Amino acid sequence: MIKGVQSDIMPYLMPSIRAVFMRMDSKKLDNLQEIRMRAGKPLMAADGAFDLFVTADGELTGNIKDSYMVVQNEITKTIELMSENSVYAFQDEIKAGFLTLKGGHRVGLCGRVVFQDGQIRNIKDFNGINIRVAKEIKGCAMRVAGYIMKNNTEVYNTLIIGPPQCGKTTILRDAARLLSNGDLELDFKGLKIGIVDERSEIAACSKGIPQNDVGFRTDVMDSCPKALGMEMLLRSMSPHVIITDEIGTHGDGAAILKVLNSGVKIIASAHGYNISELKMREELLALIKAGTFERYIVLSSGEGPGTLEEVIDSQLSIIYRRCSPCL
Amino acid sequence: MLVKLIGAAVLIGATSVIGFSKAADCSRRPRTLRELQALLQMLENEISYLSNLLTEAFTRIYENSGVEAAILFKAAAQNLEAGGVTADTAWERAVDDNAPRLSLNKEDKSILATFGKMLGNSDLEGQLNNIRLVTSQLRLQEIKSEEMKKKNEKMYRSLGVLSGLAITIILF
Repeated sequence: MIKGVQSDIMPYLMPSIRAVFMRMDSKKLDNLQEIRMRAGKPLMAADGAFDLFVTADGELTGNIKDSYMVVQNEITKTIELMSENSVYAFQDEIKAGFLTLKGGHRVGLCGRVVFQDGQIRNIKDFNGINIRVAKEIKGCAMRVAGYIMKNNTEVYNTLIIGPPQCGKTTILRDAARLLSNGDLELDFKGLKIGIVDERSEIAACSKGIPQNDVGFRTDVMDSCPKALGMEMLLRSMSPHVIITDEIGTHGDGAAILKVLNSGVKIIASAHGYNISELKMREELLALIKAGTFERYIVLSSGEGPGTLEEVIDSQLSIIYRRCSPCL
Repeated sequence: MLVKLIGAAVLIGATSVIGFSKAADCSRRPRTLRELQALLQMLENEISYLSNLLTEAFTRIYENSGVEAAILFKAAAQNLEAGGVTADTAWERAVDDNAPRLSLNKEDKSILATFGKMLGNSDLEGQLNNIRLVTSQLRLQEIKSEEMKKKNEKMYRSLGVLSGLAITIILF
């Protein structure tokens, strides 16, 4: 379960940085979306609209003069704490450039990469981290639910599209919960859901157990490569719907076709601002051309994260469009 | 006369106890060092094959071994569980707190402290190298302490008894 910045993230910060955030107003603290530390640069935090500096007193400010300066040691120690003092056990995650905290908060890492035999072996001398605060907003998928559900026992193959920080994963997570539990109000029967959670962001498993509410009828394959995970779920868990995050890398297309050929529905998300941008990506273009997805849901953060921009069907005709330009 | 005799007996008894406890100290140090090597071997297994987190590894080591030196791992695990401290601080604190109880001397302590500096903050290979390094250093310390033990154990014992006797004779 996501409990917020205070209990999920604070214990993993270096004491000196933690002290700064302790002084911050708790309401402000809970509103933070990102916390950034860069070696030798000011401590920064984003609360949605603005990327602000943090002062030693825990105030958010636009004035760089008062900001708290981060030193490299604070970053290194913070990473040690985040890996629960067991960097060796998180080597694979570090190699991929991120750690996931309990509660599904993603921590991005930057530093000097050790490259050997055509592969990244390690990242060392960390120079920056970005903590992305995960939000669990129950009910946030209700708005899009109508577009995803075909009738009371079926869903459309759906692709959720949006730029970073606009709530794709949050909506995907809530959609999983909604479809899995079913909903009396919408008269929707629950379906068996399989989640392939490659980056542990949707369900945020800790020692295998989902920390976020993803529904009763949901099976989670944690930190498993998407293509492999989909196949495994297909073979063994007999899901009605497979849900996965951020498709678009090589091999995803084939795996998705395999899923569809077995009569299982798919709900996925992809990075992008609109459909035409997705068409630039080979893997996705093939899927779009083949009419794989019956619904495209485009999100933006126009009116805060999770703003529904447009909904498009497989023929690429528009079903819904947000009405801001036609004032 | 009777009082004198009783006094003499008490005196000799007391010095003997001091002597014997000193001798016991001598033999505890090599034993601790030997135990530590075995425990570090367990740690190696915990983190390389079982890939357990450090706190969990420490706790398991403590629970699965009955030896006295395991209190180091217990204390370190408790310090880690208290939260907010990195592994090196937790380990150093555990060593400082328990060194007298385990009869570790200054040199042993500094070896263990150096080991702690690397604890948990590098990749698996680094961790294993660190464990092997400290194990070999502890091995040398053990050999040295065995020699010391041989030399001193008997001496402390006889010194205890004899000094008691000597004082008694002088006082008589």
